[in-house]
Amino acid sequence: MTLSRLVLRSMRKNIKQYYLYFFALIFSVTLCFSYTTLQYNPTVVLALEESGTASAGFKAATYVLYFIVTFFVLYASHLFMKRRSKEIGIYQLIGMTKGLVFRLIALENIILFLLAVIVGMVVGYFSSRFFAMVLLEILEVDMIVQLKFSVEAFKQSAIIFSILLVIILLQMAWVIRSLSLLSLFTASKKADEQIRGFSIFQMVMGFIGLFLIIFGYYQSTQLFNVEKSSFFDNLYLHMLVILGATIIGTYLFFRYTVALIMNMIRAGKRGHLRITDVLAVTPIMHKMKSNSKSLTLITTLTGLAVGIMSLAYIAYYSSNSNARFVSPYDYILLNDQGIEFLDALYQEGIKFEKDTYQISSVKLNIKDLVSENLQDSPLYSLETDTVVVSLSDFRQIKPNYTLKKGEALLTSYANVLSEVLPLQKNKDIIVKSGKLEFPLHITEIRKDYVISNYVSNGSPILVVSDKLFKEIEEQNKEQQAITSQIGINLVEREDVEKAEMLYKKFSEHRKVFLDKEHSLIHKSFEEQRKNNIASLGLTIFVTAFLGLAFLLTTGSILYFKQIAEADDEKESYVILRKIGFSTTHIMKGIYAKQAFNFGVPLIIGLFHSYFAVKSGWWLFGTELVAPLIITICLYVVMYTVFAVLSIQYYKKVVRESL
Amino acid sequence: MSVLVGRKIRKVYGKKSTAQEVLKGIDIEVQKGEFVGIMGPSGSGKTTLLNVLCSIDYPTEGIIEINGQNLRGMKEKALANFRREQLGFIFQDYNLLDTLTVKENILLPLSISKQPKAVVESRLKELVGILGISHILNKYPNEISGGQKQRTSAARALIANPTLVFADEPTGALDSKSANALLTNLETINQEKSATIMMVTHDPVAASFCSRVLFLKDGAIYTELYKGDKTRQQLFQQILNTQSILGGDGYDA
Repeated sequence: MTLSRLVLRSMRKNIKQYYLYFFALIFSVTLCFSYTTLQYNPTVVLALEESGTASAGFKAATYVLYFIVTFFVLYASHLFMKRRSKEIGIYQLIGMTKGLVFRLIALENIILFLLAVIVGMVVGYFSSRFFAMVLLEILEVDMIVQLKFSVEAFKQSAIIFSILLVIILLQMAWVIRSLSLLSLFTASKKADEQIRGFSIFQMVMGFIGLFLIIFGYYQSTQLFNVEKSSFFDNLYLHMLVILGATIIGTYLFFRYTVALIMNMIRAGKRGHLRITDVLAVTPIMHKMKSNSKSLTLITTLTGLAVGIMSLAYIAYYSSNSNARFVSPYDYILLNDQGIEFLDALYQEGIKFEKDTYQISSVKLNIKDLVSENLQDSPLYSLETDTVVVSLSDFRQIKPNYTLKKGEALLTSYANVLSEVLPLQKNKDIIVKSGKLEFPLHITEIRKDYVISNYVSNGSPILVVSDKLFKEIEEQNKEQQAITSQIGINLVEREDVEKAEMLYKKFSEHRKVFLDKEHSLIHKSFEEQRKNNIASLGLTIFVTAFLGLAFLLTTGSILYFKQIAEADDEKESYVILRKIGFSTTHIMKGIYAKQAFNFGVPLIIGLFHSYFAVKSGWWLFGTELVAPLIITICLYVVMYTVFAVLSIQYYKKVVRESL
Repeated sequence: MSVLVGRKIRKVYGKKSTAQEVLKGIDIEVQKGEFVGIMGPSGSGKTTLLNVLCSIDYPTEGIIEINGQNLRGMKEKALANFRREQLGFIFQDYNLLDTLTVKENILLPLSISKQPKAVVESRLKELVGILGISHILNKYPNEISGGQKQRTSAARALIANPTLVFADEPTGALDSKSANALLTNLETINQEKSATIMMVTHDPVAASFCSRVLFLKDGAIYTELYKGDKTRQQLFQQILNTQSILGGDGYDA
């Protein structure tokens, strides 16, 4: 029999063993090729040029993707080799040299790899269209996506896959070379650690693991806290410490804490175990030594992926509210310039509502409103110009709002500033305006946006009684560049396109001068929102794509691991079935085990990402809860799918165990 | 009283064209308190018979009743429950779970039934006392000797107070000293606790501990020997004689 015939025959016989590995290869190729094709898709290139998004991130993400794929394929091939160690042993036993065995395995792999590349490229080619449509949808670009085969993408992928193939072959050569005949036969059955009672060391390490995680979480909440001057003055150092603490903590948690807890549960039963203890608690405990590294990796990757995806999504999700921050109304006219826009809206029959504000400004020191231990900070001793509006104008958005004499409120205090520098209500401040200087009692700090950010420059807006407003206005009459704002909201959303055209048409009329050199043409809310989306759309797409890659690879690794474990434990199931445990009984234990294997990395990963996101989300946007929950749900659903798949596999194994 | 009754048990493996008849209509009856040995050359169908009798495998034809209960027609789940509650098993390769301690392994069959802990503990204490493994209860299987493993396995088989214990080559992997210790233990339990035991073996020494020995050849019962008032030595001699009559070739003892 020639080598090639032997190869083909063994591949035919072992098709079941191969299919997982084959699937992993196809999946990786699809992911890579789809992504590279996307980059060279003419429609996408055009759309990106039009929206003016920087596409550097596109390229950078390719490398991350290659890294993920390489890592994943190496893991899959490692697992694959382990499952076939016996076969390799038999080849050697019948007198094949290691070189010949390697040639055999290499030939198999090359065939398999080529098949996977072909299938993966075909699937990737078509799926790239789907991804292109998603991207254009995110960017809100209306275009028909063409499908074009890119030679450049093909070349690039071919190079990457060749390199990958060489790496896999090297790995296999190394595995075959380094294993002795004896260990090849036992490789899949290598005994894991035996837990004999618990040493103080393990107990201590278990607690240190928990402590490190909690410490990391606590520090993450302190990362941007300016109130307490922590001993980490350097932000990067602080971040590194948090990252290190949580990752090491996670490892120790899996390596020692889990076994510690499991052993406590078990010791409490004094030998009278239930079926779930037999099938979940004790195997998990004994496997923790070899599983802790991969579980740590998976948990960290999950945390990272969910974190990054959430942040990108937060930024995208907040493009609306960020635009509102700049332009609180759909359209804004300053100093009554461009009032023709209103007439035009009438003529076109577009319904709208408008609010009018008189604007003045005062100088005030925000320092009086921050908590006491912050007041020493030199950062906050500045006097800032603050926009003032009257109470009756404010009532246009909050009807029936009242202020007593000597009272005022601050509004439009949201976004980054309010997170870094929380202000406190029920405090007194000194307000200066020209020659006037008087104290005011601040009754409330609100978040409502009222006045264009072009006018307020991001400072909060002070709302005072009408009488006081008159006095302030009197003082500032001459020096004020902008004295009024008309805010217009459309009643019907469908009119937005027409209104946008009109607003643009009158842009010269709307021009206001801030001083002799600087002028300003206000952007509409829609324009602002589109700008935000254009600058973030690609980022969210790329992060979502990478997040998906992370998710699928970590999920697959967990699934592969479980498949290997199920095969390893088949013997136990045979014993249990023989002595009288039904499939239902055994599955009960397996459900518990799967809940642990998929649930714990997921939950800890989600906690990691929650604290990571929580610490600095406001740098990215204004909405935390919705984007975070949506991302988390997506992850949970996908993990559940993997868990169900692995349960199906277990069910099959258990059923065949008698 | 008959604990086990088997009538015309046939077992055929493979499809029609390649069918191989492993059991050719076996009739068997086991009385309460008996210690029955099944012997025969390799391929005579010993293990198949045991598997069929203990409901791990299905007979192609025939009736099997244990404790008056017909196994045919019982669902998988009912059979599993039946095995757990009525039967005990000792296997050649011990079949202990590596992740459980000796005590946990012994109590394994009780892990779904709800029995008062105190009752279980006292039964455990009695059993491990007879088997001489009370000092290793907290050890793992890989820390104890083969003989100890097999005695653990025996304790597990007996913990639920089964109607019938099946032992498949229990001494196959043991040295002669451990084998003798185990068989003496089984004999004691058989006599003192009147446990019914059915053992497949190809070791004449092991078989000589039994109260009755069946000989299988080519899927049918060839002959049977009763111990009666004979000493173990006399029974042993008889077994050897029968074996030599059964045919020299293909015998792997």
